[in-house]
Amino acid sequence: MAQFTLQLDPANGPVLTIVIGVSVPRGDALMTAGQPVPNGMSARALIDTGASCSCVDPAILAKLDLTPTGTVSVHTPSTGGAAHLAEQYDVSLIVPGAGTHHVPLVIPAVPVMAANLSLQGVDALIGRDVLRDCIFIYNGSLGISRSRSESKGRST
Amino acid sequence: MPLERESATYREKLPELSKHEGRYVLIHGSDVVDTFGSYGDALRQGYRQFGLQPFLVKQIQSSELVQFITRAVEPRLQA
Repeated sequence: MAQFTLQLDPANGPVLTIVIGVSVPRGDALMTAGQPVPNGMSARALIDTGASCSCVDPAILAKLDLTPTGTVSVHTPSTGGAAHLAEQYDVSLIVPGAGTHHVPLVIPAVPVMAANLSLQGVDALIGRDVLRDCIFIYNGSLGISRSRSESKGRST
Repeated sequence: MPLERESATYREKLPELSKHEGRYVLIHGSDVVDTFGSYGDALRQGYRQFGLQPFLVKQIQSSELVQFITRAVEPRLQA
């Protein structure tokens, strides 16, 4: 079971350092095609219970040389009153554990939406699609948050 | 535009795909390849069959579920 305890970032709240890489199936396809598999990228990810789906900044997706494999209908303050169709990309996520005795949370393939986030001080939003397999405790009085995933890695 | 053809195929075939509500469909061009019980299974088959060529994996929803993000982010929209 993966478990994390982190100090709340005064500016951004519960921010984790994660690794975002190409999905395992895409990595396999790249190797089959004789192409290099890009290294995973370290990223600052905000746990955002206000996001129903996870998002990654396009700069990271570009470095991973990803092309979209999905679409999703999305509503944000920037889309005005209507939902719009946005592109989705398949990535892998690795959240290192709280210490050497805790296993990391590894998600081999998850769809994420591309969204400009760098001006907000983070590279990714961990939304409720990932949190649905986790217990998340936000302790504002102690200034910490705790996350625990119910499984070692999501079955894909 | 990426996935334009696949998205059009999804919209066109949705009435017949609706009997597989909740499953994940794999579409390449104008071909509906198959439906799968999980996102990962559909994605794996897509990369196995089409390599790095474009393909679409989408959960079948007769009424598209809208995702909400309360932060003011700018999603990359499909043109």
